[in-house]
Amino acid sequence: MGVNTRRFILDGIGQAVWALRYNRLRTMLSVLGITVGIAGVMAIGTISKSGRYLIFSELETFGLKSVWVYRTNDDKDPNRAVRAGTGIEARDVEVLAHCCPAVHHISPVVFGRGAGLLVRVGKRFSNPQLTGVGADYAIVNNEELRGGRFFKVAEVQHRRNMAVMGVTAAEDLFGPDVDPVGKEIRIGDRWYLVIGLLENKDRAFIGSLGSPGGIDANNRILLPYTTLQAQIGSKDVGVIQAEAVDVAQADAAVGELTQVLEREHNHRYAYKSTTMAQYIKVSERIVQGVSLIGIVAASISLLVGGLGILNIVSTSVQERTREIGLRKAVGASQGSILFQFLMESVIISVSGGLLGLLLGVVGSVGLALATGFPLMPSWPIVVLAIVMSVLVGLLSGYYPARRAALLRPVLALRYE
Amino acid sequence: MIALDNVTKSYRIESLVIPVLKGITLTVSEREFVAIMGPSGSGKSTLLNIIGCLDCVDTGNYQLDAEPIAGASEDRLAIIRSSKLGFVFQLFNLIPRVNALRNVELPLIYAGVAPKLRRERALAMLDAVGMADRAAHTPAQLSGGQQQRVAIARALVNQPDVLIADEPTGSLDSKAGNDIMQLLDRLNAQGLTIVMVTHEEDIAAYASRTLRLRDGLVERDQYNRRIAQVH
Repeated sequence: MGVNTRRFILDGIGQAVWALRYNRLRTMLSVLGITVGIAGVMAIGTISKSGRYLIFSELETFGLKSVWVYRTNDDKDPNRAVRAGTGIEARDVEVLAHCCPAVHHISPVVFGRGAGLLVRVGKRFSNPQLTGVGADYAIVNNEELRGGRFFKVAEVQHRRNMAVMGVTAAEDLFGPDVDPVGKEIRIGDRWYLVIGLLENKDRAFIGSLGSPGGIDANNRILLPYTTLQAQIGSKDVGVIQAEAVDVAQADAAVGELTQVLEREHNHRYAYKSTTMAQYIKVSERIVQGVSLIGIVAASISLLVGGLGILNIVSTSVQERTREIGLRKAVGASQGSILFQFLMESVIISVSGGLLGLLLGVVGSVGLALATGFPLMPSWPIVVLAIVMSVLVGLLSGYYPARRAALLRPVLALRYE
Repeated sequence: MIALDNVTKSYRIESLVIPVLKGITLTVSEREFVAIMGPSGSGKSTLLNIIGCLDCVDTGNYQLDAEPIAGASEDRLAIIRSSKLGFVFQLFNLIPRVNALRNVELPLIYAGVAPKLRRERALAMLDAVGMADRAAHTPAQLSGGQQQRVAIARALVNQPDVLIADEPTGSLDSKAGNDIMQLLDRLNAQGLTIVMVTHEEDIAAYASRTLRLRDGLVERDQYNRRIAQVH
């Protein structure tokens, strides 16, 4: 950039600042219009990004490639009462594991709920979710271990009395900060050896939406499903949970699983499935919906702000018609007049933008501190807000600035 | 220096075409001090605006320093106004929100002069018109005569070849008006070409030449015997 170009730009900005300072109140009011819009853009960007992060980090605790297949009662089968049970048996698991190419890992899930099993250690009681699982459950359900290890295939086969527990259950039974691994717990009338402690799983947000998955995910005890089946005297498997080879294959995986199950049971049962991919889609739609509403609202306020600037700069051009004529008489080119008035509107909108940015950052950090939700503004949103405010300034200033630039000096000087 | 050849200009008010200049041929040489006079509607302001490159001719030729103005681009006109012409108006046309110094600096901004040099030259010019001590005053804090002095400083700060003055004393009392005319007279004596519109005979008497217009034509073009300056 040559010295002349730089001077042209600096002088244009300087002239704009003179003019804006003269009309301080008016300038400030139109700045505020943009402030509201940009703060809105910031808020929406931050909320949708943070919301997305929040939802996905919690969905991840179920395993993003997870699929579930279970019997449905919607089969309109008049003999349903006769065909009791869950429609899935332990022996199906072997078949499923071999016949479903879209399935990577698979685990039966047996629910101990309702079996009336009491869990205790000495005089301490706990009321956890009791779940019987296979050796691959840790992979399928994206479990991480804080201590100890998970079940081995042989241990599941041999119905070992072993348990892996969540942090809340461990705290209920052993007290805080006690490592339960290697200790024994009593479930019903049997003793179990604790071999693993699960890592903390946070599902506060999903829980706050009322989803059953949001029940304290840490208040769980996992057992080998064979052991749990033996203890409650049932051969039923409640749900098949599997991990698809990837998220895109989730539908293929449930298709295969359902087909095999129907075949194995001679179509006596109907099955239903759920995939994490569906939840991801739904969540994405919710986040998109919220963002869209926000974007519309923010756009409207930016539009209003922009029209405010258009109005202010138009008024300013009109009021200063003689001045524009004078500037032209003393040698101002059309370009420098255009640039000066364009700068007036850009300065207004960028000041508004920066103020809105500040408001948005302070607001979201404040809200994050107040609610505990991780609302953090991110760089792309900040850049977007600045770009938007420059753009609003240029767009809304262009028309009046051009009108000023094209004024004929002889008419402008005669303007009353 | 200034050469108009059969210049015409008309204005259009809705469907009505009103001829204002009907064929003006005029040459002004360097160092001349021309007063343009005539009854209202005679076209004197229009002629001045054309000479000042604020307005363009309909037909005919206008050359300033041998450069044809009629076909010049807006950008070229801006450069000509910036480098060769200085303007003084009846209503001063100072920017009200900034002080005298800033007003005088204005043409230098558009001429692309560096800020520091701008200040120096503006101050020097204010000094030349006797307004150095009022540099920090805004127009509202100055009398009419003082404002016109600041306006003259602004007109001269780019060292123009021609000063275009449109009724420079029109809003001043006779004392202030005479002061301004003496200033212009002095500037003319120093070599500045001046073209001025006025309707007052005693103001026109300061000029070396008087051009009388009537109905868009030159009625009389006469060289004055310079009157002695009264102090």
